Order: sequence, then C-alpha cells, then structure tokens
Amino acid sequence: MKRLSLLFAILLSGALVQAQEQQFQTVITPAFTPITWERLVNAADEPENWLMYSGTLDSKRYSRLDQINTENVTELEMKWAYQIPVIDRAETVPLVVDGIMFITEAPSNVTAVDARTGGVYWRYDHDLPEDLRICCGRNNRGVAILGETLFMSTLDAHLVAIDARTGNLLWNTEVAEYSSGYSKTAAPLIVKDKVVTGIAGGEFGIRGFIDAYDPETGELIWRTYTIPGPGEFGNDTWLGDSWRYGGSATWITGSYDAELNQIYWGTGNPGPDWNGDVRLGDNLYSDSVLALNGDTGEIEWHFQFTPHDVHDYDAIQIPILADIEYGGEMRELMLWANRNGFFYNLDRATGEFLDGDTFASVTWASGLDPNGRPIRVPGMAPTYEGVMVSPPIVGATNWYSPAYSPDTGLFYVTSFDGEQEFFKRDEDYEEGERYTGGGGRYTQPMDAFYSSIRAIDPTTIDIVWEFPIMPRSSAGITTTAGGLLFSGSADGFFYALDAETGEELWNVSLSRRVHAAPMTFEVDGEQFVTIASGNVVFTFGLRD
Amino acid sequence: MSKLSGFHGGWLLAGAACALSMLLIPRALAEDAGNLYDTLVDIRLGERYFERQCGRCHGFDATGNDEAGGPDLTGRLTRGSTDVAIFNIIRDGIPGTAMLPVPENVPDPQVWQLVAYLDSLRYDPGSVVLAGDAESGSDLFWSGSDCADCHMVSGRGARFGPDLSRIGENRSPDDLLADMINPQEDVAPRWWRLRITGPDGVTREGYRMSEDSFSLRIMDDDENLWSFHKDDLQSYERIEESTMPSYAQSLSESELDDLVAYLFSLRREEI
Repeated sequence: MKRLSLLFAILLSGALVQAQEQQFQTVITPAFTPITWERLVNAADEPENWLMYSGTLDSKRYSRLDQINTENVTELEMKWAYQIPVIDRAETVPLVVDGIMFITEAPSNVTAVDARTGGVYWRYDHDLPEDLRICCGRNNRGVAILGETLFMSTLDAHLVAIDARTGNLLWNTEVAEYSSGYSKTAAPLIVKDKVVTGIAGGEFGIRGFIDAYDPETGELIWRTYTIPGPGEFGNDTWLGDSWRYGGSATWITGSYDAELNQIYWGTGNPGPDWNGDVRLGDNLYSDSVLALNGDTGEIEWHFQFTPHDVHDYDAIQIPILADIEYGGEMRELMLWANRNGFFYNLDRATGEFLDGDTFASVTWASGLDPNGRPIRVPGMAPTYEGVMVSPPIVGATNWYSPAYSPDTGLFYVTSFDGEQEFFKRDEDYEEGERYTGGGGRYTQPMDAFYSSIRAIDPTTIDIVWEFPIMPRSSAGITTTAGGLLFSGSADGFFYALDAETGEELWNVSLSRRVHAAPMTFEVDGEQFVTIASGNVVFTFGLRD
Repeated sequence: MSKLSGFHGGWLLAGAACALSMLLIPRALAEDAGNLYDTLVDIRLGERYFERQCGRCHGFDATGNDEAGGPDLTGRLTRGSTDVAIFNIIRDGIPGTAMLPVPENVPDPQVWQLVAYLDSLRYDPGSVVLAGDAESGSDLFWSGSDCADCHMVSGRGARFGPDLSRIGENRSPDDLLADMINPQEDVAPRWWRLRITGPDGVTREGYRMSEDSFSLRIMDDDENLWSFHKDDLQSYERIEESTMPSYAQSLSESELDDLVAYLFSLRREEI
C-alpha cells in the first residue's frame, strides 16, 4: 500500500513538472526587436504581432492569421486569464510585440505579460490626483509603441513614456490641466517620428485638440485645435464666445494613410451637449472627421457628420481606410458608421461625400442631402419636458471599434436600435464643472431594445446580414483571414461568427460585460485571440 | 535663540493637536442635528446639481445607468442611510471606485442641497397617511382574493409573480394601486413570457427567467425550469405582457385601498 502511494506520488509529481514545463515553455527574456516606423507602416505583414490599437494604420482590424478558422474555431479553449488588480471595467486592447503583451488597466496603469502564459514581467502604476474630472468612468484603452518605448494617456491628462522592457517611466508630460476638465483615455497613434494623441473632456466645456509629441523628449511639436479660434475658418460657426467651451474632444484613436500622408481623427460633441441655444451655428469642427497633414498637423480637409449637434452624437468612431471598387473604379475610401445612425462613404484624399444611409433606427433626421448634410426632422431637439429620439445618447454605435475584411468586402459594426427621452437644461460654464445642458432617460427596459452585429456592403450600404445580441453591446470587432469575426456582448459572451454569412460558430460565457475589442496574435507558431471581459483579460487558443 | 520657549512650543503643540482633531472628525459632524438645507428651493437646486454632475453615471433621474454602473439612488441606499453618511460619500467619494469626490471648491451647503434632493426621492413611510387598512388588506391578500395564487410573501404563496416580501420599499402607494389596476404598464422583462419550440419539437411557454445573446431560461406553468441554447430552438416568441389581470373591476375601491395598505407595509423594519 505504501509503495503504491509512493509510486502514485512520483507519477503525480512527474506530471506536474511536465505541466509546468509546458506552461512556462516560452522565451526567458524579452526578445522583441525595437519597433521602427517601417514596421508600423507594414504591420499587416507581421500578423503574429498586434502593434497598435487598431492593428494597422488603416484601422481595418483585420488579421492575416488563419490558423484559427471556420473549420476549427469550435476547438478554442482558454489558455490563460489575467485579473486586473484594480476593480473597474476594462476597455483595453492589448498590444503584442514578439511574444510580449502590453495591457492597460484602469485607472491609468499598464502591465507587460508573457503572451503565452499571462505571467507578469512588470507593471507601471501611474499616480493620479483624487479630484479627477472624468465623464464616464476610469478607462484606458491602450498604448502605442515606437522603438522600445510605450506611450500611454492618463486620466489626469498626461502623456507618459514607459520603457517597454522594464516599465520604468521615461517622461511624463502634462497635455492639459485636469482640473479644468481635461482627461485622456485613448491609445496614442504613432505617425513617423511623432506620438499623435487626442484629448477627452467634452462634457466639461474644454476646447478640443489633437497633439503631436516628440517620442524622445515628450515635447509638444504641434497642436491642432478642433475648434477654430478667432480669425480662423469656422470660428463664426459658434455664437459669441461659445467656441471657448465648445468641447469637440478627440477621445478615440485615429488612422493614418502613409501614401497621402494624412492623419484622420474623429471629433466629439459640441458643448453643452444637449442645449444648443448658447452655441448657435454649425459648431465646426465638432462631430467631424479631420484630415491633418502628417508632418505639420494642418487641417487639409474636414467633413462634419452632425452640424449643430444637440444629441451628443460624437463622431468618435475609428476611421476605416479601404481601397474599394466603388462606382466602377478603385477609390480610396473612408468607411464610417456614425453614432448618429448613418453610414458614410467618403473619399479620403479629398473628404468628398460619396454616399450615405441609415444603418440603424433614426428619427432625428430623414436622410442626407447630396453633400452628406443631415435633413433634420423638426421637433427632435431636446426640450425641458423631454422628447423621444432615436438613436439614444449612446448612439447607434459609439467608440467601439468597427472592422473591415478585405476577404468578404464587408464592414462590420456593433449597432443599437433604441430610443430615449432627451432633456434640455440651462447651464453656465464654470471651469472644471460639467457642462452638458441636459441629459436623457430611457422609458423602457433595456431588454426591449435591439442590438446586433451588422455586416454592411459599403458599395451599396446594404445590410448583408446581422447577428442579434442582447442590448446594449459596447464591444468592438476583429476579423481574420480564417474567415472569422470575433466580438463580445453586453451579457459577457465572447464569440466567433462566420464573417461571410454571420453564422454563429462558437461562443463562451465570460460572465461580465465586454467593453473592449478582441485582438489576435501568434507566438511560436500558435495563434491566440484575446478579449477583456469585466475586469479580466482572457486569451484563447486551439486545443493542444 | 532658535529654540522655541516651552510656552510657545506648548501652544504650537496644542494648535497641531487641534488641527489634527479637525482632520480626524468627519466634516459633516456639525450637521448631525440634521440637514439645514432642505427647503423646496434647496431640493430644486440639489436636483439641478445632480442632473448636471451626477446624472451621467447615476442616470438623469437617479435611477441608475447600466453601462456606467452607477447605482439607482431612488430606493434604499446600501452605502449610507443617514444624511451624514450620504454627505460624506459625496464629499469624499468612494476610494478605489469611479465614485469621485465633488471638487473641493464646491461649498458644503451645495453638497447638503444634493443630499436634500436625494432624500426627496425617498420618504418616511411612517408619515404616509393611507385610506386603507393593512390588516384587512392582509386578510384579503391571503384568503379573499387570488393574490397568493401567484405571489409570495416571506416564503408563503406561489411563484408566478414577483416576490412581494419587500415591495413597500420600492413602490409607493400610488405605484401599487397602478400595478393592480393596470398591470400591463411597465412589465419587468423577468415577467415577460417566452413561447419556444425546442429541439424535441415540443412547444413550451413560461416566464422569462433570463435571456442572453446565446441562450435563455424559462419556468413553465408546472414550475419546471428549462434552459436552451437559442440555436437549438425551432421557434422562439417573446410575449412582452404580464399574466396578471386588472383588478379595477373585480375589487372595490376600499378593497384596493386595503391591499395597498398591506403591500405598502411589507418592508424591512429598519427602513
């Protein structure tokens, strides 16, 4: 009996050692090579890595990896989970560089882990003041990388540079004064030798801008305000001094076209959000996309989706850049499903509006005119008593990443068909105080509404298929050369659909709401896919 | 010369001790006697401040926000039931959460107005004068009507409607009367019905216990619990109606008043 027990113990310890060896069979030291600008321009060519927030500079969120595909996706299993120690929601999209994953955490921290096991290399904790001014939770969506340095936005409106090998702080630049209502949540975008980054605070009467910083020193190189100052084109689209407090924040990451040398960045709502009486006019460049010169930051063109917005329809969506046969010729397009409920095709070289149509429930406008300007329905502006409007404040979609697959030619977006009562209030601007001029209220339970993943053919703006999910999802989307679409849901599922047909292929309940977008990568020849749900980052791979 | 005399040092120590004690004493202690800023004007100003500063997370009408996670503030508050506790939470925030403190330049009276507004969303149930008699309502509930055929109170009754054991905490007398007269108004999704045909070809109908993007669970009329993957179902129909009939005709006005009085009395004692 004793001998049997001993034998069993030996066998067991042998199995444990073997399991541990398998689990930790990975590189011992970080082996990544510095990230050059050329690598970022050609990020699609190294699909084993995920080098920026949207995967590639054109923000398609399409990976050429196909080891996990429509035939074997049912064999996915969880490989590891990383629990973020600060309890909050995770909106992070991690980067993976040569087997090392960089995960941002609420409120403004970042951790480097072994992408095969989740084992922690280091963690950077950012000191924050207690009296932050943030509108919508303690979020951080990701880092950017250039060379061996990570760049991260922080809630106190700083931009920090962190050594990617150790987590050491290299520099810490104040972008704006947090106590005036400024904050930062989005991943920066590397453009050549600059760190381009936006600002949040559209509910605090800030004046929005897009900045470029020197990655070596943290010094500001250029700043382009998203609200023109006196004497500049567009300043007269604001009543009186309202431009000073007009919002137009830039709280999501933009895209870049290396051929055209243009940076594309969406802008947020004008402020106060729901009371437009104090800012009569179109309120340029709120709710717009700006094309900036990649070297100087000068505005080369703009397109405003929602002039004089009074419903908080930020144009804070990620511009997807795709070259598509459109109208009988190849066009350099920008595809955009807007929070206001309309899908747009723009010529990204010039900003010309090509066409647009609704992709979700819309009652505030009856359509778009030939220039892409919305045709407003009377009586839809917020009132003191409340008026029912669709889309609701959260929008037909919002900041969560859409995707485009060159294999299917389809654009994918998380959409919401809902409605809400909009209220107007009178408020005076006070520095550092909320400046929204109203709010909204649902009059039905959330389950009475409808959410779905919609696949749109951009050449016709037809919805080719849709996959219903419980309202109201705030998860982004990623597609792969394996014919898959990955996304999450408000009720905590992570799932894979057939990108061509929308057929459900695989799902797993992770139990907590998904506020993030998935990403995929490969280490040692094995493909993985990662998603944050609730407060945990999960990584899946095929069964061994 | 640089050494302070004992006399001065003592005063300094006393001053330091005084400052320390001020730091240790909760800032709201002076208001323990009650909120001095609770007039109708204060409540209105508090409401305006709430709509502007708090509504994004807690909902414009303080009923919560599913995405931001800010809780409903119109019912029982779990983190503080007294005015002082609520004041301190607003003033100091809740460390480690998205509940940030109000900016330091916001004066205390403004915070008290906010407390007054939150208080106005609740009321002292003892101060409510009702036309009906709770004891008669209890008799009616348990033996003179079919209420207990569907509802449960403190473990007695049935499973075909909401548990009413604490219904008086969340519904006003007016709400309760409206629920009985017009039960089709505002039916909670938990009490919608689902009619489904499963993979076995059998059609079942039951209360929608929960539903997510890929699956659903029901309790049928025989109280069996069923769970299905949606893609296994042959058909699926959602009926967003209540099974509760209206009692506007079948009960008299005084009987309805008695039932309201009984239901309103169903609450935890400390409320």
